[in-house]
Order: sequence, then structure tokens, then C-alpha cells
Amino acid sequence: MTVESLPDFLFSAMGRILPFGFAEPLFMKRAILAMLFIAPAAAAVGVPLVHFRMAFFSDAIGHSAFTGVAIGVLLGVHPLLTMVAFGLFVAWAITRVKGRTELSPDTVIGVFFSTVIALGVAIISAQKGLTRNLQAYLYGDLLAVSGTELLWMGALLIVVGAYLFLTFNRIMLLGVHEGFARSMGVPVYALEVSFALVVALVVTTAIRAVGILLVTALLVVPAAAARNVARGAVSAFWVAIAIAVVSGLSGIAASYYLDTATGATVVLFAAALFAATAMLKGMFRR
Amino acid sequence: MTVTAHHHTLEIRNLSVRAGGVEILSGIHADIRCGEVTALVGPNGAGKTTLLLAILGLVRYTGEIRFCRAEEHGEGAPRIGYVPQRLDFDRNAPMTVLDFLALSSQRYPVVFGHSARSKRSARETLARVGVDHLISRPLGKLSGGELQRILLSLALRDDPDILLLDEPVSGADLSGEGLFCEFLGQIHSESRFSLLLVSHDLSVVSRHADRVICLNRRIICQGATTEMLTPENLEAMYGSGAHLVSHGPADGSGHLHPPPAADGDGNKRD
Repeated sequence: MTVESLPDFLFSAMGRILPFGFAEPLFMKRAILAMLFIAPAAAAVGVPLVHFRMAFFSDAIGHSAFTGVAIGVLLGVHPLLTMVAFGLFVAWAITRVKGRTELSPDTVIGVFFSTVIALGVAIISAQKGLTRNLQAYLYGDLLAVSGTELLWMGALLIVVGAYLFLTFNRIMLLGVHEGFARSMGVPVYALEVSFALVVALVVTTAIRAVGILLVTALLVVPAAAARNVARGAVSAFWVAIAIAVVSGLSGIAASYYLDTATGATVVLFAAALFAATAMLKGMFRR
Repeated sequence: MTVTAHHHTLEIRNLSVRAGGVEILSGIHADIRCGEVTALVGPNGAGKTTLLLAILGLVRYTGEIRFCRAEEHGEGAPRIGYVPQRLDFDRNAPMTVLDFLALSSQRYPVVFGHSARSKRSARETLARVGVDHLISRPLGKLSGGELQRILLSLALRDDPDILLLDEPVSGADLSGEGLFCEFLGQIHSESRFSLLLVSHDLSVVSRHADRVICLNRRIICQGATTEMLTPENLEAMYGSGAHLVSHGPADGSGHLHPPPAADGDGNKRD
């Protein structure tokens, strides 16, 4: 079996696992597969992200994609490449500046956030006809995912899984107290930078699915919902993954029948699950 | 008490720390002697925590910090244990005490569960400081004192050469019991690590510390405990009117009574 035939193999398998009308067209099979790659990767990174209180950071990276795409179109390079590259650059820059200033992380991110948006708007306003290109990135376009993009998303899931397997414990320790983590032998700076880069990689890839405006939700909402019901680290992680996958698949199915934007529908399902877990939590408290 | 007579574990030479254009610590010269308990005392904002962070390598400083490892502890870099004053993590974090301990004792991610070995090790580690009953409690629901004990148990697990202990302001914790109580004194006398203790409770200092470093952005004085806690030195550190009041038998124990005018954050920078 070659790499190129891998999607075909998975599609025929999916036909048997999901014998539903919505899963029949090829573009729907691709969308489902893309979601099965992206949702767990985003939720897995989201667990330590929420632990670090870095939701705003992920939002800033998401919005940097706006500028990344504009740069790509300006240079005549594929926007996906510049989007990922620019997202990685902004993540690295924020982490570096954050470590060298007395300013709070919020403030540093806020400055970067507005700077990259301003740069993006400046480029787009100077280039007529760019707006049409941006639509797909602002709202996501899961139904138009190409075979190459699918492979890229599959690779992302593997990279994120491997990274977290190696670093998860130390990242969580770092989130509890930096000085204490250091005394336990955690390489603080290396972990901070590498985690920021992995978040940037996930965010820029997930934009294809749900768009710039909603990408943070894919990382934050499942982890936040899991917190409502989980007591320990084990359940917090797996509940987040399950919520991401369930809302991803139900969102795709619902958007097919309701003719709504796929990304937005997925996020709405995740938000509904968040509300449900919050209510469950309230019931157990009493 | 005579381990290796006055062998230094840590030598601090001309250390200064600046942050945001303000000199937090300047010209610090100090030695931490091997196996001894050294107390670091001074008002709030004196730079005590900053000095610990400099030793940990977490703040930029000028000057020198030299670690000298005693031969009986073997080769390699010295292990530094650290118990911070408080944790500023998210109190809602879904993490039990066992999860937290497993983070540093097992190689694979805790999300795959806890190995039998890491469970056993967690129980032993906690039992050493008498908090093994907390093992399945959520970390965020513990009191400040309980959290510090758990951190202490972890710091001790790796058999440190130096232990840096940053005690919270006494009375901040509901249990009302300082971390440096009898059991730590006992563990210390068994293991003989060097202990650098930030304490606000001068009765603890006078009872347990071999030496005292009085700090207020610079070294006010340092030396043997009995010689250091004099009214003159206390006044130089905390301002006029501060005095050590002895309660009970004349064993040198007592509490610091701050000067009437300068209480609360009565540590106005010089």
C-alpha cells in the first residue's frame, strides 16, 4: 500500500463503519477523516493549554494566520505554507519577548495580536481581490480539504501525539510552578518554546477545518468541558478527546443536513457539550 | 553537628539582581555551610524569594553562585530541592495529589494511568511527611500548608544536597503550623542536607537554625543564630521598635513584634 492509496483505504473502511447518508459523498468522507485527525490533536494540546491559561495565546496565533495568508498571496507562495510559517514565527516571538520583560503575558500577547492583525489588514487593503481568498480561512472550509492536506493533518496528529507522549508530564509540572518544576529538573525554557510551536502548528492546521475566528474553540472548549466533570488527570484528558471527536462528527453530520457552515456547527456542538457538563457539575455539587 | 567543619555547599559572591531598573538585591556575599540550617530573615520585599530564585537560576543576576559538592555526596551537580511559598496554579485543575506526584516519577504520561511503582512511591513519599491520607484529593482543594507539605515531600524524595524552603507568612495558613516543625528537624538530622530556610517566625529560626542571614536588599548581618538576633540587628532590618519577645522559659524562643508604626507591609524600601 502506498502513501497515496492510504486515503482510499481509509475511505472504504469508513463506508463500512459509518453507513449513513451524510458520509457517502467523497468530500464528506474527506471532511470526516480530516476532523478525526484534527479534533483529537487540538483537544490533546488544549488540555495543557488550558492548564497554562494560554487560551489568549492560541487566539493570537489563530489571528496571525490572517496575516500569514495575506503574505502568501502577496509573495505568490501557497498561503498554507506562509500561514504555518508565520504562525510559528509569532509563537516563537511572543514566547521570547514574554521571558524577557516584566510585562504580563496578557499584555505581550495583546501587543503582538494587534500588530499582526494590523499588518494583515494593511497588506490586504493594498491588494485588491485578496478578500475572496480569505473567506475560506476566516470561516474554514472543511468540505474542500485536498488529499495532500489530509496527509498533512494525519502527520500532525502523529507529531502532536509523539510530542505530548514525551513531554506531557513535564509540561503539566511546569504549569503548576515554574521554579518548582525547575528544581525537579524540568528544562523550563526549551519546553515553553517547543510547546508554543506545537500549539502554533495545531492552530494553523486546524484553521482549515473551522477557520481563524473559531480555531481557539477547537482547542479550549473540549478541555474546558472535560474540567467540568473530571476529577483527575486521566479522565480530564480522555473526556476532552471524546468531546472533541463527538462534536466534530455530529457537527459535520448536522451541517450536511442543515446546510450550515461546518466549522461553526462543530463548535456549536462542542459548546452544547460544555453547557451539558457544566449542568452536570452543578447537579453533583448539590 | 560537626560534619565537615565549615565545608560550604554554596558560596554566593557579590550577587546583584536588578528588575525593571530597580536593584532588588545588591552585593550579596554569603555562604551556606554543609549540613547546617541557615535561616534567611528580613521584611517583606527584602528580596528573600528573589535570592532563592537566583540560586535556582530562574532570575538573571550578576556576580557568582558556586556550588561545592561535598565528597560524601558523590560526583555531579548538586541536587537542589525547592519548596515555593505558594503555587499560583489554577485551583480548578483536574489533578489529584497522586497525579501530581506521578508527573515527576513516571516516564509515560499520567493520562495513561499510574504505574504500580509510581503509586507505591507516591505513598512512601507522602508518608515521610505524614500526609499520605491526601493521596487521592484534588490538588487545588488543599490548604496552603498541606500543599507545602506535599511539595516538601517531593523535594525530599530526590535526596537533595541543598533544600530551599520558602515559608509562607505565619498565620496565612489555617493550620497555624509552620512547615519547619519537629518532623523536618528530624528528617534533617537524619539526612544532613544543607537547608536554606526563609522564615517569618523568629521563634522557629532561633530554635532550629544554626546560622542566620539577615537580608534587606543587602546583607544586614550574618552569623551564628544566637549572635545575630540582637535588638540592634532586628531594628536595622525591620525598623525601630521591633523586638523579640520571649514567651515561656528562657530557651531563646520568641516572636518578632514589629514596630508599632510599620506593620502590614511595613517594610518600606530604604
